Amino acid sequence: MSSFSVKNVNQIFGTGTAKVHVLHDVNFEAEPGTLSLIMGPSGSGKSTFLTIAGGLLTPTSGEVTVNGETYTDRTKKQRDALRLDSIGFVLQAYHLLPYLTVADQFKLVDKVKPNGNLSKAKLDEVLETLGIEQLINKYPGELSGGQQQRVAIARALYPNPAIILADEPTAALDGSRVKVVGELLKSLAVKHHKAVVVVTHDARLIEAADHLYEMQDGYLTKK
Amino acid sequence: MFLALKEIKKEKLRSGLIIAMIVLISYLIFILTSLALGLARQNTDAINSWHVGRITLNSSANTDMRQSFLTAEQVGKLTKKEALIGETSVVAKAAGHKQLSAVFIGLDETQFVAKNLVLESGHQVKQAHQIVVDDSFKLEGYKLGSRIKLNDSQTRYTIVGFTKNAKLNIAPVVYGQLTTWQTLRGLTNGPVASAIVSQNTHYKTTKQGAKTYSTAKVIEKLPGYQAQTTTFVMMIAFLMVISLIIIAVFLYILTMQKLPNYAVLRVQGIPSRVLVGATVSQSVLLVVSGLVFGTILTIITALVIPPAIPMAFDIPVLSAVGAGLLVMALIGGLIPIKSVLSVDPVSVIGG
Repeated sequence: MSSFSVKNVNQIFGTGTAKVHVLHDVNFEAEPGTLSLIMGPSGSGKSTFLTIAGGLLTPTSGEVTVNGETYTDRTKKQRDALRLDSIGFVLQAYHLLPYLTVADQFKLVDKVKPNGNLSKAKLDEVLETLGIEQLINKYPGELSGGQQQRVAIARALYPNPAIILADEPTAALDGSRVKVVGELLKSLAVKHHKAVVVVTHDARLIEAADHLYEMQDGYLTKK
Repeated sequence: MFLALKEIKKEKLRSGLIIAMIVLISYLIFILTSLALGLARQNTDAINSWHVGRITLNSSANTDMRQSFLTAEQVGKLTKKEALIGETSVVAKAAGHKQLSAVFIGLDETQFVAKNLVLESGHQVKQAHQIVVDDSFKLEGYKLGSRIKLNDSQTRYTIVGFTKNAKLNIAPVVYGQLTTWQTLRGLTNGPVASAIVSQNTHYKTTKQGAKTYSTAKVIEKLPGYQAQTTTFVMMIAFLMVISLIIIAVFLYILTMQKLPNYAVLRVQGIPSRVLVGATVSQSVLLVVSGLVFGTILTIITALVIPPAIPMAFDIPVLSAVGAGLLVMALIGGLIPIKSVLSVDPVSVIGG
């Protein structure tokens, strides 16, 4: 069974003449240990797909399942809890809390979710893999963009989620960094046995992907 | 609390400025409250020191002790819980000293008011031409043994004792004998006192032309007292409301600036209650810190302020004002909660 699946999802915004059909019968599956890339131009529906996949938006129809649990019919509070447990987000602008050190970014997760997070040894290993183990007491403002992004990846990984959803993770990076990030996301999927789903319009990530999808005018097709 | 403490620690300047603002607001309110309390007490200190529940005056005196005269017939028979008071305004003067406007209170030394008078130094009035005065006379250089004249009388009265907080209508009190009061008022026959004060809260006169009031009613009717206390209460109430608005605006701006961060936390699945807790606890931490520093400043002020300034630092009253400020700040901190609860995590998706 796939760890993450999206079945027959439709998303319609507005009514009457203002009605916009953003996603059309979208189907998608992601297995643990794989990196799936969803590509498409701006306005194609990628971000809407991501918000529905992450449980931030309830689709007009269809269902989303994580580890066998359908959460599209759950309450907002239940979806929050499921997201905290099962979905890690890596956002485009990193969005680390500016007043928390790197260590505190993880402590915050511990405060809200005391169990099931990575052990200290595992976290140290992740930090070492990402090359940020020396930055543990730094604030985001003291880090470079690349370092912030690696901290954001570690933070997404820390609650030990089943899937990692990444939103344009290379948007602010130059060519050499794109390759590094691609490899990093791939190793994240393989080494930590996560289903990694990357939404991007950056074709330079294609070589790291196991599965490639294209979003065009709200239609998702596998390549 | 975790998020609130971390943010305050990181944003020292911003937090410091908000705390400084709360310090100034709380200091201003504490000082004004102390001043209001000090002035109010200077109106009533003497009456309060007698610990009486009922005051009987002439029914035509408009509840004003100075305007009241009671005859021996109107006084009637008194128990140990009643005492006679004779009040009149005087000007105290002595060679080499500044003239002082004061209130003369004539007492019967065998009755409880005179007996219970707490002296700071010296002794009680034992004979005519002896007086016990409020210790504010000391500020003008008067000492035990100083001889003063009251009004135009050529008689000299010797200060035989000082008592603390003896003020009536903001004027210092001069305690003497009832016969002295009669002399000062030019009453050789007829009236024997201005008022009967009673420790018995059920005391009520039945005599013609006399009427018994509660002490609170008499205090309320002291000239200018009601206007003064109402003004101060209104001032403090307005300050409270203004402080609520100022604190609320600051906390609102502070919270609104953090909404993008909160959106990220919501994306991560951090429950809304954690964000609400962070917002409220940050408000409480900032306000409590401000109140603590405001209190320290007030204590320092209380230690250095000249005794001539009528301020009363009453801990229960100031604690209540502090608690009121904290409640106001909590209300202010709760105003942006709706924005926190409705923060849209989708706003941070898609760049």
